[in-house]
Amino acid sequence: MSEFAPTCIYLVISPLVTLIPHSVPFPFASNSLTYPEKLSSYECGFDPFGDARRRFDIRFYLVSILFIIPDPEVTFSFPWAVPLNKIDPFGSWSTMAFLLILTIGSLYEWKRGASDRE
Amino acid sequence: MILSVLSSLALVSGLMVVRAKNPVHSVLFPIPVFRNISGLLLLLGLDFFAMIFPVVHIGAIAVSFLFVVMMFHIQIAEIHEEVLRYLPVSGIIGLIFWWEMFFILDNESIPLLPTQRNTTSLRYMVYARKVRSWTNLETLGNLLYTYYSVRFLVPSLILLVAMIGAIVLTMHRTTKVKRHDVFGRNAIDSRRTIMRGVTDLLKESSLILMS
Repeated sequence: MSEFAPTCIYLVISPLVTLIPHSVPFPFASNSLTYPEKLSSYECGFDPFGDARRRFDIRFYLVSILFIIPDPEVTFSFPWAVPLNKIDPFGSWSTMAFLLILTIGSLYEWKRGASDRE
Repeated sequence: MILSVLSSLALVSGLMVVRAKNPVHSVLFPIPVFRNISGLLLLLGLDFFAMIFPVVHIGAIAVSFLFVVMMFHIQIAEIHEEVLRYLPVSGIIGLIFWWEMFFILDNESIPLLPTQRNTTSLRYMVYARKVRSWTNLETLGNLLYTYYSVRFLVPSLILLVAMIGAIVLTMHRTTKVKRHDVFGRNAIDSRRTIMRGVTDLLKESSLILMS
């Protein structure tokens, strides 16, 4: 467990690196000049007609799913790569079967054009 | 001490998942939960799982939940805070939950109250670990791909179904992508295309002149 000491140092320093530049402007910013009406959106003086949001395109969700599916593929490849002398070729071939099944899915995604941009 | 810090932060974050007013906050609060559980796994000595937990749970699961919340057109509406209306039924369900937790909690290895540690419980030392200790990855990989290979191949089928299902459900016919016809592309004679452009121009100009 002592090999995680650099990780703990990293976990302390990296939030400091982000939080210190983030919080330095706050004592110097003047908050008295902003009020809620100033911060709201401007629509030529009219009251807001509606929400400013558009309908969410579901292709963004497909992008995230198409990352999530090969993510366990890589995760399962990590413990395979270490004990390769102990698992006989049976272990390698079972991993190849696993990768082949997921390759079929990847092939379907390719031919269907799910990850093409328009 | 680290155990109590991590677990209490995980519990507080888990509570905030339920109690947050903004639904996006409610989806973002599992992230500290997963981080703290990853720290707890490190304390248990499961270093591989502690590293995979943020990758899989935050990167895949929390992101999926976040997308779902983003797709619903949720405005931060005012919440009718009527806790008392739901108190009888929710109180009964909460009591059942706590009653079941006590089955797990109150035994010798997980003491409920801080009692004195009795010295009769044996601690044994695994000497094989001191000669050459196996890493977490090594022990997992030794068994997963050989003895439990069928259980290892079943998730691949589940992932295949998920991939095909996601594509079938979200792609409509209107996403028409311009594709290259590869064989046709290779069969084009370049002289014909260049000359054809020039001859077309000549034909058009001659037609205009004649009319």
